[in-house]
Amino acid sequence: MTNIATRQGGRPAGAKVSTHRGGQIASVIQWSAERGIFVVTGVLIVAAAVFVQGFASVVNITDVFHRAAPVGIIAVGMTFVVISGNYLDLSVVPQVATSAVILIAVSNSYGLLPAIVVATLVSLVYGLINGVAVGYFKANAVIVTLATTYIGLGVLRWVSGGNIFFGPRGGTIDTLGQLKFGPVPLSALVLVFMAVLLGFVLSRTGFGFALRAYGSNKDATRLAGVATSRVVLGAFLITSLSAMIAGFVLAAFSNTAVSTVSTGMDFGALAAIIIGGNSVFGGRGSILRTVLGVVFVSVLTNILVLTDIGYGWQQVAIGVLIVLAVSIDALARRVGK
Amino acid sequence: MQDRSKTETAPIVIEADAVVKQFGGVRAVKGVSVSVREGEIYGLIGENGAGKSTLMRMLAGLYTPDAGEVRVGGAPLQPGAKSALAAGIAIVHQELNLIPEMTVAENIMLGSFPTRAGFTESKKLRAVAKSTLEEIGVAIDLDEPVSRLSVALRQFVEIARAIARKPRVLIMDEPTASLTPAETDYLLEMLQRLAGRGMSVIYISHRLPEIFRICTRVSVLRDGSLVDTMDIEATSPDDLVNKMVGRELKLDLQVRREAKPGAVVLSARGITAPGVRGIDLDVRAGQIVGLGGLVGAGRTELVRAILGVDPKSAGMVTITVDGKSKRINSYRDAVANGAAYVPEERRTEGLALTMTVADNIALPNRRRLSTSGVLKVGSIGSFAKELAARVELRPADVTRAVGEYSGGNQQKVVIAKWLGREPRFVVLDEPTRGVDVAAKAEIHRLLRSLVDAGAAVLVVSSDLPELLDLSDVIYVVRDGEIVGTLTAAEADEKAVMTLAAGGKMVTSA
Repeated sequence: MTNIATRQGGRPAGAKVSTHRGGQIASVIQWSAERGIFVVTGVLIVAAAVFVQGFASVVNITDVFHRAAPVGIIAVGMTFVVISGNYLDLSVVPQVATSAVILIAVSNSYGLLPAIVVATLVSLVYGLINGVAVGYFKANAVIVTLATTYIGLGVLRWVSGGNIFFGPRGGTIDTLGQLKFGPVPLSALVLVFMAVLLGFVLSRTGFGFALRAYGSNKDATRLAGVATSRVVLGAFLITSLSAMIAGFVLAAFSNTAVSTVSTGMDFGALAAIIIGGNSVFGGRGSILRTVLGVVFVSVLTNILVLTDIGYGWQQVAIGVLIVLAVSIDALARRVGK
Repeated sequence: MQDRSKTETAPIVIEADAVVKQFGGVRAVKGVSVSVREGEIYGLIGENGAGKSTLMRMLAGLYTPDAGEVRVGGAPLQPGAKSALAAGIAIVHQELNLIPEMTVAENIMLGSFPTRAGFTESKKLRAVAKSTLEEIGVAIDLDEPVSRLSVALRQFVEIARAIARKPRVLIMDEPTASLTPAETDYLLEMLQRLAGRGMSVIYISHRLPEIFRICTRVSVLRDGSLVDTMDIEATSPDDLVNKMVGRELKLDLQVRREAKPGAVVLSARGITAPGVRGIDLDVRAGQIVGLGGLVGAGRTELVRAILGVDPKSAGMVTITVDGKSKRINSYRDAVANGAAYVPEERRTEGLALTMTVADNIALPNRRRLSTSGVLKVGSIGSFAKELAARVELRPADVTRAVGEYSGGNQQKVVIAKWLGREPRFVVLDEPTRGVDVAAKAEIHRLLRSLVDAGAAVLVVSSDLPELLDLSDVIYVVRDGEIVGTLTAAEADEKAVMTLAAGGKMVTSA
């Protein structure tokens, strides 16, 4: 007997009808949840290369990479928070902007190394505040990170005075920001490096294992003797450090920084994570899925730009995809695991 | 008592005619026919996974049969839970489906809120809820939020919700699993009363004495097929057990172990927590200590406070392993010092149901399965397989999600994950609740082998025969205090229940 029989709540009011209308529908949903993104992303890229003019050019590919990198780096980090079952970290917005501003402004005055040290410290403070509030005090992640977003943006605007900071032309940051290997910019390699590293952490370490278990069942994981508060703190610290690196990449690319540079990147990252097929309920997911989500969204956006379909339609398309992805996830959960 | 002559000639209210239900490639029910008469209490038994729940869900319209049909009063049942309700079929599930924040009255009326123009009619709601509670003879405050009720009272609210729809057929799935003997008596009498008024009851239980007490007929399912349907006079507990397991199973084959307890492993002093009032408790190596008492007496609260799962307001706990004593200040301390906990709620607290058996087993053992934080992926599978074999998991496929297994096998996985740590102090809360006969025997065997290997074991059980059978010493808990100590020699059901229910104090030498 499968778990379906024992899991059904079965409200007498008929709120829940049997989910088993047919094994076929169930298996299609299962398949979509598990493999959908792989196929869809592949098809999209092939279709774009064949049908969209200007897609398969070096300049365009470099552009796609450049645009994908910052959101992608945030997303691979934030995947840890999503898999822990804590939805998202809204405060990546001020974190990215703060790290971008610090990188440019502090290096202008004190040099690159102090800038990186300061940015790292600030990033750890964010991760600690979010992680302790959510992990140790069991506060709701959405609310906590909403609060740190307000605080962070406020502090950043106050300290930066809303100014735009410019790095010196041809300086280390500028050079790194423009560095390319063929069509592949350094930023994309940073994304790949982060994805490989964090993919390893999530799938192959005791911490990653405990995190996935925690996302699947908090109580059972705690009762297995796992220091669950520490695990959640770890997820937020990883997200914060990723956001910091995303801020570096963003600042280096344009050699400028401003407090509004990262607006919307919180939901951009979350959209990629969800479209990649990571479960919003926590527990199920991988870094590979997040990367595929990032690639998919970036390629789709690029196609819509190339074919001159307006920004409005891009947003509609991403919204529709999110609804699809979460529905498939929720349905897959109902028809059995 | 039921009036048999009346029910024998009564018309058939509900029947399943050669119903088949298949999930994926698995046939959960393979052409079963049963029919229930008006005013009859009809027993349905079988091991976990025998197809009882699936059959019942087909009768209640929650599943549509792949073949065959369900008829109510001679007419085929239309698919869907709504039409089953309209046809007068109500079901009380094993797991409670109440909304804790809502009041008793609101829960009873859930899904059938009386409304006028879209607004709820609170007067009518309360009136119907009140008369329903009166009908089943349970006095609960209508305005009490369900979250403040004991498990037993919640169960009665759930029953009241079913009765409020005035069903012709009431289906009950293991309603007594979390009830004390007194509450069970009350429930059984209530069912007999309802049956006396013409309601038909389909009663599913693992507890054979209950079947013999109230049912007129009983059907046995095994592996999705109907083994037999018998008049209750024409069968015996042994006969039913044999039919359930399909082989001769000697129930009393275990010989009582020679208890030779060693040094004290767990020492708890003055444990005080909500529902627990200053309890002292020792458990020795090679000893099984049983905690008896009524549901709500504070046994679960006690073990959780000892382990540090829930906070305690006072008291001290030490675990002594190999002559070294460690004070336990948190649950993680306890686990680090050799404690293992098999919680009462295995689905919500014992297992991550969406993860595989291997992952669940690996979770508490992840340190040993990794080198400097990196998992040895290759060794997880073989580690899990070895433990799955030790607990006789069936099927022994560690790559399957735990949620796909039956209750008994899930419990074996919970035990397996702790076995990997070679625990020295094991706490089990209701270890075999909702577990079939064969798995129960295997779990008991595992416990005995743990104790033989020198572990100290603390068992909470509301299943009296189990408690008596396993324990070397039984402490009876009432109102958060230990009210009596019984050795294996002097313990019997009567002694435990007398103490649990408030009889005189008994202390053994």
